[in-house]
Amino acid sequence: MTKLDARMPEGPLQEKWGHRLEEMKLVAPNNKKKHNIIVVGTGLAGGSAAATLGELGYNVKAFCIQDSPRRAHSIAAQGGINAAKNYPNDGDSIWRLFYDTIKGGDFRSREGNVYRLAEVSNNIIDQAVAQGVPFAREYGGELANRSFGGAQVSRTFYARGQTGQQLLLGAYQALMRQVDRGKVKMYPRQEMLDLVKIDGVARGIITRNLITGQIERHSADAVVLCTGGYGRTYFLSTNAFNSNATAAWRCHKRGAYFANPCYVQIHPTCIPQSGDYQSKLTLMSESLRNDGRVWVPKNKEDIGKPPHQIPDADRDYYLERKYPAFGNLVPRDVASRNAKYVCDEGRGVGATGRAVYLDFRDAIKEQGRDAIEDKYGNLFHMYHKITDEDPYEVPMRIYPAVHYTMGGLWVDYELMSTIPGLFVAGEANFSDHGANRLGASALMQGLADGYFVVPFTVGNFIAEYDVKPVGTDHKAFDAAEKDVRDQIKKMLDVGKQGSRTVIDIYKDLGKIMYDEVGMSRTGDGLKRAQDVISGLREEFWKDVKIPGRADDYNKMLELAGRLADFLELAELMATDALEREESCGGHFREEYQTDEGEALRNDEEFCYVAAWEYSEDGKPTKHKEELEFENVELATRSYK
Amino acid sequence: MLPLKRALSSPIGRKFVMSISGIALVLFVIVHLLGNLTLYIPDGGESFNRYAAGFEALGPMLYVMELGLLAVILLHAFWGISTWLRNRRARPERYAKSIATKGGGSNLNIASRNMAITGSFLFFFLIIHVWHFRVRKETVGEKTTVNGQEATDLYALVVGSFENPAWVFFYTLSMVVLAFHLRHGFWSALQSLGAMKPRWSKQIYAFGLIFAILLALGFLGMPIYLFLAAA
Amino acid sequence: MAQETMTVHLKVWRQAGPEESGSFQNYTAENVNPHMSFLEMLDVVNEDLIHKGEEPIEFDSDCREGICGTCGFVINGQAHGEERGTTVCQLHMRSFSDGDTIVIEPWRAKAFPVIKDLVVDRRAFDRIIAAGGYVSVGTGPKPDANSIKVGKDVSDQAFDSAACIGCGACVAACPNASASLFTGAKITQLAMLPQGHPERTRRVREMVHQMQEEGFGNCSNIGECEAVCPKEISLSNIAKMKREYLRAMFSDS
Repeated sequence: MTKLDARMPEGPLQEKWGHRLEEMKLVAPNNKKKHNIIVVGTGLAGGSAAATLGELGYNVKAFCIQDSPRRAHSIAAQGGINAAKNYPNDGDSIWRLFYDTIKGGDFRSREGNVYRLAEVSNNIIDQAVAQGVPFAREYGGELANRSFGGAQVSRTFYARGQTGQQLLLGAYQALMRQVDRGKVKMYPRQEMLDLVKIDGVARGIITRNLITGQIERHSADAVVLCTGGYGRTYFLSTNAFNSNATAAWRCHKRGAYFANPCYVQIHPTCIPQSGDYQSKLTLMSESLRNDGRVWVPKNKEDIGKPPHQIPDADRDYYLERKYPAFGNLVPRDVASRNAKYVCDEGRGVGATGRAVYLDFRDAIKEQGRDAIEDKYGNLFHMYHKITDEDPYEVPMRIYPAVHYTMGGLWVDYELMSTIPGLFVAGEANFSDHGANRLGASALMQGLADGYFVVPFTVGNFIAEYDVKPVGTDHKAFDAAEKDVRDQIKKMLDVGKQGSRTVIDIYKDLGKIMYDEVGMSRTGDGLKRAQDVISGLREEFWKDVKIPGRADDYNKMLELAGRLADFLELAELMATDALEREESCGGHFREEYQTDEGEALRNDEEFCYVAAWEYSEDGKPTKHKEELEFENVELATRSYK
Repeated sequence: MLPLKRALSSPIGRKFVMSISGIALVLFVIVHLLGNLTLYIPDGGESFNRYAAGFEALGPMLYVMELGLLAVILLHAFWGISTWLRNRRARPERYAKSIATKGGGSNLNIASRNMAITGSFLFFFLIIHVWHFRVRKETVGEKTTVNGQEATDLYALVVGSFENPAWVFFYTLSMVVLAFHLRHGFWSALQSLGAMKPRWSKQIYAFGLIFAILLALGFLGMPIYLFLAAA
Repeated sequence: MAQETMTVHLKVWRQAGPEESGSFQNYTAENVNPHMSFLEMLDVVNEDLIHKGEEPIEFDSDCREGICGTCGFVINGQAHGEERGTTVCQLHMRSFSDGDTIVIEPWRAKAFPVIKDLVVDRRAFDRIIAAGGYVSVGTGPKPDANSIKVGKDVSDQAFDSAACIGCGACVAACPNASASLFTGAKITQLAMLPQGHPERTRRVREMVHQMQEEGFGNCSNIGECEAVCPKEISLSNIAKMKREYLRAMFSDS
């Protein structure tokens, strides 16, 4: 095991980023136009990075799989974005935002990175407002704030329930401005299928045009990967249908280490699956738990009964019973895990038996229907629309769903991966959220990376490494393109004879992931998962059925390629979860819990980042980056 | 600075042209109607002929005014047709199942969908109408005396025409078509000029309907009135 | 819980590529659960087609919760189907009846060429935004966010315009295939806010001209765009765009 160097600047926390910026080498303005930079993904991180790099003067090529950069999945973020502005004058500061994020991440993230995130959070708000992002305002014209989970101050800026959309459109518009100026060339409906390395340095990518199927080569002096998380490993999640880990995974196979793959956030309040046909899950705001009471029937026999026919004596308000102090307001991971337990006991409700009630009967009785409508009207409406059930009359049914992945490609302080020249930003990297992400922090991180970190660190790399131009006729491009073509051909060859559709196998993968690598994990379960996943992988390569051709718009072929990668990543997730013999944040091992059934961290042995190196033989090597906490004291969470 | 030609051929500028010329035509039609209301005065056509003679008294100015009106009509027609052709080109492949409205604020109806057809019909009507009264006034109109001076007996020409039920039918139909054209056109002109507060638009749209009906009734009452009077 | 299922007959536009000519094909979807979304129903039909060795029906979709704007096609003559304020991914089968025949067509407009089946190319929208749909500010130190004050009502109105998801339903439903609602919404959002003022003349001019160059039709104030808009963006955005354009016509800049 080698020790990973995060290239953390020396000095006090507060001065690290400032010092690093001052030390960085610069690329002269007239030289910038000689450098090509590839940005893959155009969500908050990629869109903002591409726009900023283009504006600085680099030639940027930006790629996205969607038909327009405006549709990246950042658009679906509802709640808001944190910043340490302290506008409400409630005692917030950069330090507090830093501390809350570190603590929320269960002390499994890097102090320096998180502090920088908190530092630039204020610039993000200024930047977005200057772009015309219509944040919520007070009558006097100033920006409004609201509070969010895991914090005792109001620091969340929001634009109704569509904060992600508005921030993304701000970044998208900045990006399109650079397209108009000719500094960014946009490649929509293009999927990155491989990274090209020359002399160990990232020098380009191989893409597939999703309309024509054409395989293309693109060279550059640096590659910035902003391709999001891997929540779709679970098939059902709140992620978009096309969200995937292919670009990140193929970089991993070319030598980029994958860090903490087992850290997955499972959000407790989603609308449950209604049948096997389900393609995705929809998130309902966590705020509902302020007034809704979570319960299931005490007896299995009652699960089919209409809820109003079950008297209180036969209901089990299990969160209130187990956590009298916090009740229904326990953190996301605790609420999720307990919902799973009661459903595993056979007490889950709804058509699939995988749901619990979130009941507003008592709140409506106490506060009146109007008060509840005032607070949650839009959420109730959304629920009604999707399920055709009126939550004012019958309790909502909810179930946890995979929502965000904290793990990702390992990066140093400058967001560069273990492959020089390959930078990773946003959800695709592992750096800022530790083992659990706080609400309203994902948007903050994506934009911090894209607007305020990557544009500088990429310049530093180009100046420091003295990168020379390279053409796409280099033999490394030949080899990478051949690999891509071979894989597609192999898939289609199998696909002609196979009998199981991509979705079919994919659903099996999702099931084993939810069952064993989900909210609650055990050593035995994880070993079983490894076996099942490797079996599914074999099945995929023997018996998958894929329609259509390679040189055509072919959605199933796209999905097949992504599934092939998920089938490898899933096993790494299980392996990482198996080797992390502690419980922390989103990773809960049943063997490691307190007497009260709470997560038991093991700071002695596991206060490190597990960064996995790919190996052809299927036995990845784990490298450790020890986490050093010089500024905060490691504490235990308790919600009893 | 936006070159005028560029501006007026842009999607918005061309609607400005349509709106302003349309409003000018509406104003003309209102004046025309007010004048024609003298037909309803049962004085054997004296008031009507006096009104008509007023135009003759303008001398060459009348031709200038007529040419001006013709220019506005041609502009409205030409720009309208060219816009319609562009709109056709914007959707080369039609829907198999034609667009069905979801209701709400939509003004998708027989009036709004057929502006080009009603407009073309009105253009055809105008040619007939100008020939029917304006040209024939010069060629076959008989002479009468108005205010002691010789003038064309336009009243006789009008009354004579509307003894024929075919003419009554044609004019009535044309005025119904005009009502349809104005039903969307009046509101649309104001909307195209951006001269609309969102909270007024429903009322203005409703007013457009009343206006179109009143105008059409005012006109189509004449042939029917004269026809019935003659019978 | 036993659920009643239904059968629907689909008449779907199939077109192999941009240059190919398309036609309608008939499919029957059986055992449709009323709680399925429309896209999930198509997923099931597609699984069936794949098993039979036929090519699945291609359609675009991504977030499947009504915000990304990727999905959309015309169902029985209505963009995104009959329900108002809804994208096709949020349309559920319960709004249809057992035995219904459903006609499915792609967005049809010259500026949105068909890529395959129900998938269309909407890059024209990106080019309209690129022409001027932004505030020209670079990344970097900016005045404190609260130094720009925007009244709540103005900010709320700007948000109403900014809520556009760029799905293209307005173009699809417009009898003239006009992109005025899309373009007007962005122009309105930025014209409402003080940040957008310095560039408003150039913005409206460039965006409107780009809209013309893309081959969209002209607005004839029918309002079908507003009726189909999943975010219910108002026709008044178009009136505002016209006022902005009129202003630009007489502006010195």
